[in-house]
This record gives sequence, structure tokens and C-alpha cells, in this order.
Amino acid sequence: MSEMKEPLLRVNQLSVSFPDDDPYDGIEERDSVLSSISFELHDGEILGVVGESGSGKSMTALAVIRLLKKTARVDGGEILFDGRSLLTLSEEELCDLRGLGISMIFQEPMTSLNPVLRIGTQVAEALKLHQGKGNEALSDEQIHREVVRVLTEVGLPDPEGVCLMYPHELSGGMRQRVMIAAALITSPKLLIADEPTTALDVLTQAQILDLLLKIHEKTGVAILFISHDLHVIRRLCHRVLVMYHGEIVEEGETEKILDHPDHEYTKTLVARIPRVETNPGSDPVLSMDKVTIYYPPRNGSGSFFKKPALEAYVYNASLTLYENEILGIVGGSGSGKSTIGKVLSGLHGIYDGGIELFGQPLKEVLATNQRPQMVFQDPYSALNPARTIGWSLSETLRSHGVKSASERRRMALEMLSEVGLEKEIYERYPRELSGGQRQRVCIGQALLYDPKILIADEPVSALDVTVSSQVLELLLRLQKERNMSMIFISHDMNIVRSICHRVVVLEKGRIVEEGPCGEVFDNPSHPYTRQLIDAAMLG
Amino acid sequence: MNSIVKKLFSLIVTVLAISLVTFIVFSLIPGNAVLARLGVDATPEQIAAMEQQLGLNDPVLVRYFRWLGGALTGDFGQSLQYSGVSVSELLSSRLPVTLVLSGLSLALIVIFSVPIALVGVRLRDSVFDRLMTVLGQILMAVPAFFLGILMTYIFGLMLRWFRPGAYPSLTEEPVKAIRYLIFPAITIALPKIAMTVRFLKSAVKGELGMDYVRTARAHGSSEGRVLTHHVLKNAMIPVITFVALILAEILAGSIVAEQVFSVPGLGRLLITSISGRDYPVVQAIVMYITTVVVTLNFLVDVLYRAVDPRLKRGGV
Repeated sequence: MSEMKEPLLRVNQLSVSFPDDDPYDGIEERDSVLSSISFELHDGEILGVVGESGSGKSMTALAVIRLLKKTARVDGGEILFDGRSLLTLSEEELCDLRGLGISMIFQEPMTSLNPVLRIGTQVAEALKLHQGKGNEALSDEQIHREVVRVLTEVGLPDPEGVCLMYPHELSGGMRQRVMIAAALITSPKLLIADEPTTALDVLTQAQILDLLLKIHEKTGVAILFISHDLHVIRRLCHRVLVMYHGEIVEEGETEKILDHPDHEYTKTLVARIPRVETNPGSDPVLSMDKVTIYYPPRNGSGSFFKKPALEAYVYNASLTLYENEILGIVGGSGSGKSTIGKVLSGLHGIYDGGIELFGQPLKEVLATNQRPQMVFQDPYSALNPARTIGWSLSETLRSHGVKSASERRRMALEMLSEVGLEKEIYERYPRELSGGQRQRVCIGQALLYDPKILIADEPVSALDVTVSSQVLELLLRLQKERNMSMIFISHDMNIVRSICHRVVVLEKGRIVEEGPCGEVFDNPSHPYTRQLIDAAMLG
Repeated sequence: MNSIVKKLFSLIVTVLAISLVTFIVFSLIPGNAVLARLGVDATPEQIAAMEQQLGLNDPVLVRYFRWLGGALTGDFGQSLQYSGVSVSELLSSRLPVTLVLSGLSLALIVIFSVPIALVGVRLRDSVFDRLMTVLGQILMAVPAFFLGILMTYIFGLMLRWFRPGAYPSLTEEPVKAIRYLIFPAITIALPKIAMTVRFLKSAVKGELGMDYVRTARAHGSSEGRVLTHHVLKNAMIPVITFVALILAEILAGSIVAEQVFSVPGLGRLLITSISGRDYPVVQAIVMYITTVVVTLNFLVDVLYRAVDPRLKRGGV
């Protein structure tokens, strides 16, 4: 053995393409999604793959486990796993390999489990399928024991009970633990993790990463870890590949790449989040005094004659927003952050307590054009897909009372240029726009009312890192130019720290801490705040 | 199981409401059984006496409650058309035939739809799949009576697998009777199979794009196992509703099929009773069909809970 040890996985000059999905041009073209990528993954290594959506990260993973859609075509290259060439395997051989040699976990724990099968059955699946192939056949009792063992290993309490449950009875974090258990039950040599923590809230995210590290330490399984989140990559991976437009543009030790990137693209990827530079005024524009917000219970417990009792989602919340201030509201999912935003913008009206805007009760302000405007998380579904951008903007102006069509058009075009979009966007449909462009349109739409208060509910969490920075820059610029106050609702502690003046921390509907960002982040007084910050910095 | 009790309660209310509505509607229809029976030459005295005798002069609500009281004890009154025969007797001789016929049709639908749909999806875009799709479209478009005539011609007259019109009695020669009933059952089932296959196929194709299918593949499931072990149960959920809707159509279809194949079932009784203005019989048959449809829908709800665990606790 004079030569170096053969890597566990070697991808050589791999190219993959899809049919061109524009059916109108009549030309048979193929869109290249991976162009000649090469990399190696060694036994026991955690290799990160970072890049934006569409950069080819997930394609790389799916190509390795050979789960690409049928329309995908491998145009060249080879994939060697454990000395075998994966591209020449038959479908049957692939079924033997999947779940035994290579396992995979996915981004969406909520939908990646079969809703009508018990957890025990699903975790046992891979073991059942692969028994008797290279390993000995197992009795049902042995399989059950194995299932309980892995469920215990991934930290699920009461594994016997969990076996009998269905996915809908578990939280997102627990489901992802189940996915990990199901992937590891056969002790595969390689685990592919495709954004496994992206859909989870910050605290759960940190727990799942801890779990993966623990399992890696214990079993030595090699992990191909795909993420757009640099904090996560830094925490977990030994080496990292940076992907851009289907190519690997940079590769190396994680620390080195993230601290001293060479490639232009990597530099923008690690670029800092913009920082707020304005100073807030001292006149309050909005104050909430002991506000409790209610919702009707989800599965109506009332009967035909009795109204269902209301459930409180936010308790006794008091907060103040000052002139020209950006106030962050942070908390885990279900903490009630969005609920506050909905009440302030008039989308939800069941609450107790006093809310005043500009010294007037909220209900009066909501009837005027001075009501706070809202920007939502999901720019993909926030715009009417059947209408042009111009129509949507114009419609907003119409309800604002602008009667003349030409005036509406002028104002809409002006707004487009203010949020940094070309005139041509006016004629376009939402599907023709990128996520970042759509979120700019949504921001523009909110600003048509010239509000003094803008409420942004997770405005960048559906966007890629670089796009996210640009949208944040836009929000900061608009806040400065228009002397707006802004409430910025987010789960991302790093962003809040950077762009907000003050922050309010919500835990399960209660405000547990409040103060200037600097103080709260450097010296959190409440344990929940500390937990959030620790989870966000990821060690 | 509180919600099941609630459903049962609403089931009873539905049946009662329909009985009241049909009763009132029948009493509004001009022309009555007295005329149909005595003929147009009857004197007004004769008519009045007959009406008196049959209790047709009382207010409609009084008659309704009298009828309801009887119906609850299984007495649906006397047939006006066949004098001296009670409605219950008439029904009990005809009901088994229709029940067997509908049961056979439903069995055919369930037994054939699932495998045809699964094979169709497995071999999608193959020649077999395309042929089945075309065949399905033809079957859905052909009117039921024509399909019945076609069946009679091919299997009865050409192949001589059964003797059209010579339906043996179900009680005396049950095996022969069921063999005869297979053909009207196929007539009823064929278009429904085509519809169910089409529906199930699109449900399965929809499920194939779901994330959990990708998980199953990543665990090493073969394409066939993905279909039978992972997708089928999920795809069945919408299909159960669909089949429940079809049940009502099977009953309607049996009316036509019984006529075409000369089977003495409820359907034929219904047609002769309507033309003879034999409202007690019509009313009883409508009640029977209503009860069957509503009960089956109730059973489907229960079945739903068995298939979809998300509905067991709390849920909708």
C-alpha cells in the first residue's frame, strides 16, 4: 500500500443537464445544472457544500444517491463510491445501495415522512429491505429492538411510544430526529444531509446539529452536508465546497475558505450583513400597553350553540416604538412574533389592552391611510400570479384613492425605481421575477401608502444569503430616506443584531427581555435570550 | 368516538328530512292512484269512497305521520297497484336482487380498479397504459343502456353465456341467478371502473411527487414497493370519497340495467310503480335508496378514519 488510501466517494468531471423547460421556443435545448464537478470525500469526513438555491448543491447530492428526476441526464463523468462506479449500476443494485451504503436526510421533515405509516414501520424500512443481503436475516423482534435503539440514540424520549405514533403527532425537530434514525439504522458509510436544519427554528436547529456531530463522533459516518447557512457549515464541516451556477468555484478547509475566501463569489457570500447607521428619535410613534392577543382555538372545541373559548397567543405585551427606530422582535417559532405584526397592521383584531399610534387608538388609525404597512416572508405567494406587477401596484393605489390611471402608472413606475427595479418589471408577471425582485415589489407595494410605520415579518428568510443582504440594504436605505419607523420580525439573531436599534425577545407569547441591541446581545439577562444567541452564533 | 355519534345523529335527521320532503312532493303531484285504479269512467261517488277508504282526504302532515309511524315498524302500507299486496312484501321480494346486483358491481369496481390503476402508473406512457386510457374514455362516454344492449348481444346472443330475459329466481336457483346477474353488474361497473382508474391514477401520480416518496426511495425501496407500500394508502384517501359518490350512481345504474336485462329488482319495480302512481311503493323505494346512500357515506367516514391516522385524534 504505497499509494494514498482511496477516498470513500470520488466524483470525477460530473456533468448533469435537464431539458430546457421553456416549451415555447421550440428549440430542443438542455439546461446544464452541473458542469464537470470533481471532489473527494474521505472516510469519516464531514464535507460541506455551500451555495445559493439553483447553484447545484442538491443536484450534486441527488446525483450521488442516483435519485435525480427521470428527465435529468448525466452527460459525463463518473461517481465512485467505495470502489464501485455508481453510474453503471442497475436499478436493482441501486436499491440495494440506497439506505445501506448511502443514506440521505432531507430539508423538509414535515413532509418527508409518510403520513399514514407508523414511525416504527418507517424507521425499520431500510433495515427490513436490506436484511439478508450481506448481513443476516433478522426476526421482527430483533428489528424492533434495533428501531428502539436508534430512536434512543437520536435522543427521542419514550422510543417505544414513538414507534406507535404517526408523523403528525411529532414536532418538526422530532421528525428530523426520526429521519436521522431511519437513515442511520443500517449503519451506512455515507450520510447525505440536504439542508437538514433549514426548516427548523433556531433552537431546534442547534440541537439537530449537535446530534449530527455526536453521531459522527460515535459512528465515524462520513457526511456530505449541504447548506446555504455559513454558520452551520462552519460549525460542522471539516472541508467545504463552494458552488456557483453548477460549478465548484472554491474548495478547502472550512476555516480558511470562510475567513479568507479567494473567489469573488465566495467573498460576496461571506460578506457582512448591512449595519444600521441612523439614530432613532425620542418621540414614541407606537405604544402597546399590556396587550393580550387571542385566537379562536384551532379545532373548534365549541358546539353548535356555544362559541369556542378564545386562546391567548400573546400575553400582556407592552412595548414602544420610537420615531425613526428599527425595533427587532425575535423568538422561536410559535413565540407570537408574527401575531403582534398582524394586530398592528389590522389583519387580526381580537385583543385586550391599549394600542396607540401617533397618540390615537389603533382602531382609528387603521381606518386611515396612516395605518402601518406590512411586508411578508414569502414573496412567492404574496403576489397575485395571474396579474402583472403593474396591475398589482396600480390596484393598491386605486384602493388608496388615486383615480387617474396615468397617475397610478407614474406613481407605480416611480416606486419601482425607488426599490431598485427596472421599468420593464411593470409589465412582468410574478413568475418571471426572482425571489429578491419579488420581495422588492412587495416592499414597494407597502410603501405606496407612504406609511410612517413599516412592519417586516421575516422579509428575507425565504431568500438566499447574497440576495438577503441586498434586500436588507434596501430596507435600511428606505428607512433612512423616508424617516420611517420599522418593526423587524425575525428568527435570525445575526440580522437583528446588525440592523435593529432595539430588540424585544418573545418566548411563548411573553416578552422576556427588551433593550438596545448592543446590551441585549452582549449581556443577555434572560436564559431564553442566551439560548437564542448561542444557537445563532453556533459556537 | 364522540364525532361518530354526532355523525349517526345527523344521518337519522337526514333520512327523516328526505322522507318528509318526498312525501310532500308526492302529495303535490297531480293525478292519483284512485284514478289510475278505477279508470277515467269512475263516478265521483266511487272516487270519493275509494279516497275515503285509502285515507287520502286527511291533511298531508297527518298522513305523513301516520305513514312514518308505520314505516318505523316496517309497515309501509298497501300497494295501490297490486291490490292486497303490502309494500313490504313487494320490496322484500325485489330488494335482494338489487342488493346482489349492486354488491356485485361494487366488488367488480374495487377489485379491478386498484390493480389496473397501479399497473397503469407503473407502466406509464407505455402502449398498455395508452390503450387503457383510450378504452376508459370510450367506456365513460357510452350510455349505460347501450352498453347493456351490447353486452346482451355479445354475451347473450353471440356467445350464449346467458339467456337474455330468462332470469332464474334468486331464491330457487341462487348460483344460476348470480351467474346471470354478473352481466348487468359488469354493465354497471365498466364505466365506473374507468372513472375510478382515472381518478386513482391521478391521485397516485400526485403522491409520487411527494417528499415521503423520495425518502422511501432513499431507504432503498424499489419502484413497485414505493407504489404498494407507500403511495397506495395515501392515494386511497381521496379515492374513498370518490367511490362513495359512485355508490349512489350504482343504484341509479341498476334501474337501467334491470330494465335492459329484464331483472325483477327494485329498479323495475320503481319504474312500474311510478307509471302506476303507486306512491306508497315509490316512497318506500326512495326511502330505501336514501337510507343506503346515507348509511354508506357514514361507513365511508368511518373507513376514512381507519385509513388516515390524522383524522383519529381531534382533527377535522
